[in-house]
Amino acid sequence: MGAIEGIITGFEVALSLEGILFVLLGVFVGTFIGMLPGLGPISAIAIMIPITYGMNPTLALVMMAGVYYGAVFGGSTSSILLNAPGISGTVASSFDGYPMAQNGQAGKALAIAAISSFIGGTISVILLMAFAPMLSSVAISFGPPAYFALMLLGLTAIASLSEGSTVKALISAVIGFMVATIGIDPQTGTARYTFGSTNLLDGIDFLIIALGLFAIAEVGYLIINRHKKSMTDAKQLGSLKLSKQDMKEIAGPSGRQSILGFVLGILPGAGATIASFISYISEKRLSKNPEKFGKGAVKGLAAPEASNNAATSGSFVPLLSLGIPGSGTTAVMLGAFLVLGVQPGPMLMGDNPDIFWGIIASMYIGNVFLLILNLPLIPYIARVLTVPRPLLISLVIVFSLIGVYAISFSTFDLYLLLAFGVIGFLMRMFAFPAPPFILAFILGGMMEQSFRQAMTSSNGDISIFFTNNISLVLIILSVLSFTFPIIKSMRQKKQEA
Amino acid sequence: MLNNVNRKIGLALFLISIGYLFMSYQLPTYPYIPVDADAIPITLGWILLVLSVALFFSEDKDTEEQKAKRHIPKKDVKAISGVFVLALIFITLLEIVGFLIMTALFIFSSSKFLGYENNLVNAVVSVCFPLILYSIFVFLLNINLPQGVMPF
Repeated sequence: MGAIEGIITGFEVALSLEGILFVLLGVFVGTFIGMLPGLGPISAIAIMIPITYGMNPTLALVMMAGVYYGAVFGGSTSSILLNAPGISGTVASSFDGYPMAQNGQAGKALAIAAISSFIGGTISVILLMAFAPMLSSVAISFGPPAYFALMLLGLTAIASLSEGSTVKALISAVIGFMVATIGIDPQTGTARYTFGSTNLLDGIDFLIIALGLFAIAEVGYLIINRHKKSMTDAKQLGSLKLSKQDMKEIAGPSGRQSILGFVLGILPGAGATIASFISYISEKRLSKNPEKFGKGAVKGLAAPEASNNAATSGSFVPLLSLGIPGSGTTAVMLGAFLVLGVQPGPMLMGDNPDIFWGIIASMYIGNVFLLILNLPLIPYIARVLTVPRPLLISLVIVFSLIGVYAISFSTFDLYLLLAFGVIGFLMRMFAFPAPPFILAFILGGMMEQSFRQAMTSSNGDISIFFTNNISLVLIILSVLSFTFPIIKSMRQKKQEA
Repeated sequence: MLNNVNRKIGLALFLISIGYLFMSYQLPTYPYIPVDADAIPITLGWILLVLSVALFFSEDKDTEEQKAKRHIPKKDVKAISGVFVLALIFITLLEIVGFLIMTALFIFSSSKFLGYENNLVNAVVSVCFPLILYSIFVFLLNINLPQGVMPF
């Protein structure tokens, strides 16, 4: 199926009544959850997974994609209004968004965010449509050695996901990988680290890890900050109208930074956070009035907003075409695919064109919905920020517990969820980043399998990874991708010293 | 010797890696399998051991914001522990008492415990939220949640 035929199939899915409804539901719920302080796309996707059980996988995944980019947009809203970014990808939006809100221009800031996000989302979907099939057709010939090397490349994202200490990020990833080894080994039938419990024979479900490490762990900090002042009146927003001058100012940065954001989104580990920061800095450098940045500059808000949304679409390229996640959020998204019985990767385009193209086509529609929903409805949606925190905390806990119960019908898994919540809280407390954990947890199991399959086919000869051209290139890329951020940060520290 | 937080965590992780390695070496192995079920766990155990030593000897490079996250006031520790205990009670009694009653009780008591004063709103949310969630799961998604003592 060619790209044109494919996208027509995709639009048939996305423009069906059900398709439209689920995209709308996805972006709405995503915006809603993403807006809540502390809850980013990872929590939003994880919370929504139980709702998709038994649903048509195509529609479910179309909805989940909507939840993802909706949550990224929602995060900007809390960044702008409360200076409390839900996720690190929207931190840069608060640099100029929050000062604008403080100057009584919150409505204008939200409108700029919505329009720039729309531009970023739309340009990047066009690029996604071009790149994902191309990469899929290359990856279709990959055998186990190349797959192992590809996942190794995905894992190198850890080096970029560290928030300060690379050692801590690596520890987090190793423990994530260790947790992935729990349960029956599919190749030999050996029970590993089950401590005789039948509940652990199937391993630990990824939803327990995702909700525990992110949603439940965040509850701890929500409890600590429960008395923090939340927005009390949605009427404080001011006008949403933008002048012609504002629109002119938005156009340039949004266009440029959408492309940059998309490219950075494809790279393992870069993602929305790095994309939004690089966009902010590069736009500041390009600006004739850099001194206005940080004080409510229109360009300073438009650039990271376009970029972080474009990076979201960019991150779908390796996910859809190669089946590897490059970030914590896409790792959870991959989990959502697997829960629904869909294996993303090079075969997806051929085997499930409706899903592959349906998701891409739905993004066009989702971006339009985000714009339509958010511009007029933002004052009402922003009321979620007025929900008293004690109530919010209780609801998040119930949602997480019931989400996990609905997949296993086992209270044992609920105790596990609380245990991972405690682990996630301690990780936050001692600055161990959680995304490497979930990334290694998801990739670890798959990596081990392809490594062992490759070694079985070569009778235990490890040179199979270096004699296969594709895997050799990917291993070299992995080494570069892993060492580059470390060398870069070491150089920076030397310079600072 | 353990005056730095990295040293304490490094030591704890070192002990965990020793325990993990011990269990990994106990895993059964089979002939004619190039990479057995114990290979990856053993590798991971050794990597964690090396990393825990690296952490032990590394400086505490956390930012001031990250360091501030470590200091939790006593009253907040009490609040977190209280909610944790309530969640444990919820899980333990969920299948016996049922989803609707336990969820309503949990939301009300946990919100009240965390300082939410408006009892009327709290009661309305505590009753409506489980009812909506129950209807979505049971009637829309055909996923049964525990009935417990309730007839439906």
